[in-house]
Amino acid sequence: MEQTPVLKVEDIRKRFGEKEILKGVSLEINRGDIKAIIGPSGGGKSTLLHCINFLTLFDAGRVFLNGEEIDHTDRRRLYAYRQKVGMIFQDFNLFDHLSALQNVQIGLVRVKKIPKARARERAVAELERVGLKEHMDKYPAELSGGQKQRVSIARALAMDPEVMLLDEPTSALDPELVGEVHAVIKRLAAGGMTMVLVTHEIAFAGSLAREILFMDEGVILEKGPPQEILYGAKRERTREFCDKIIHFHHKDNG
Amino acid sequence: MHLSISAGMKAVLEGLPYIMGGVWVTLVVVAGALAMGLLLGTFLAIAHVYGNRALRTLTGIYVWFFRGVPLLVLLFLFYFGLLGALHLDLSPFFVSIVVLGLISSAYQSEIFRGAILSIPEGQLKAARAIGMSDFQAVVYIILPQAFRLSIPAWTNEYTIIMKNSAVTYALGVAEIMARANHVAARTYQHFWLYLLAGFIFLGLTSAGTRCLGLLQKKVAIKGYAR
Repeated sequence: MEQTPVLKVEDIRKRFGEKEILKGVSLEINRGDIKAIIGPSGGGKSTLLHCINFLTLFDAGRVFLNGEEIDHTDRRRLYAYRQKVGMIFQDFNLFDHLSALQNVQIGLVRVKKIPKARARERAVAELERVGLKEHMDKYPAELSGGQKQRVSIARALAMDPEVMLLDEPTSALDPELVGEVHAVIKRLAAGGMTMVLVTHEIAFAGSLAREILFMDEGVILEKGPPQEILYGAKRERTREFCDKIIHFHHKDNG
Repeated sequence: MHLSISAGMKAVLEGLPYIMGGVWVTLVVVAGALAMGLLLGTFLAIAHVYGNRALRTLTGIYVWFFRGVPLLVLLFLFYFGLLGALHLDLSPFFVSIVVLGLISSAYQSEIFRGAILSIPEGQLKAARAIGMSDFQAVVYIILPQAFRLSIPAWTNEYTIIMKNSAVTYALGVAEIMARANHVAARTYQHFWLYLLAGFIFLGLTSAGTRCLGLLQKKVAIKGYAR
């Protein structure tokens, strides 16, 4: 019997004024699976993730969670859906007036309506999971970029998501801080978390994902196993992009 | 013209208890107006930032009106004009609080609007992404930060309302200025009594500014500088 995908998006289209950013993108992902989306900037990768979570409203298309279509005009359902779909942003978006602990706790208290003491326990546990228990009383302005991104991962995990969307989680980080965030994401993967990862870190994407999707000019141009996409893509456009970025990384690493 | 210090001091000392009684009246008028301005101003700012075009237009007109018409005109318009037309019997004290409150709400809404807009939009997205409603996101994420950022400008608003409250003497509110005026008319020591009124206001604006400065320090976010 065929498995129902945890998340399925069907023919999403989005235009900003004259420019069509998404020209009908479909995607489905099964429980425990990891897909990485790569491609040049402006190709619609980030917009796609924002559309999946209805943070950007799209013009046409459908989104399903566990086979059930999400109607974003039903506010209650939308809020419940968003809890199930954890979102990690490029620039962390931590709540600046709250400590690391409170950043993780607030969703539990205000959205899940869990009593404060129990929410605190859970928040501490999530921060421990990303290795930040000893920094839990610090405010975002007192944390490094890598620590901030790990807090934001803990904040998403606290809501018990069924799938995580990661929008270039390390692209705003200094190179020496990328490793700690990658390590946390790897641990999530090892724990069986379902993930859609948008990234420019080709090597990381290749080591983590079972499938890589190459996206350009609003469409998924090509998809397949990492080896095939990164080193033997069928499309000229994909090959060009991968060659460039792989070459760049080799140069970068010495 | 000559200023007799001894006659002046005598009038000041005699009038002092009476004039100081006006401090309470002034404080209640100012506190009432600022509280009303805070509440209304917050709603106006939210309506302006997050509302649709109609709401934005309405709040825009409101702010434009109450920022552009002089306080004295509004006091007379409401007290002598509107109350009479509506056959309402309200005290000058009450009308003064309302009029100052309406004006302050227009200014405060501008303060909060700027502060709300300076909070990075990503935080609103992040709040939605963990399942918060827009209302929750504004109440728990945006406003706590916007209010903190507003304290310096709000301190300014406090001093302006404090000083402008003296104008309510024109409706016969027995605040500091009205009482100083009263004693001056009786003793002919205008210079000393208005000087006294001036120093009382100076004390009130200074004390308030100092308190708000302490509040700003107290609620400052650690490690955060903008």
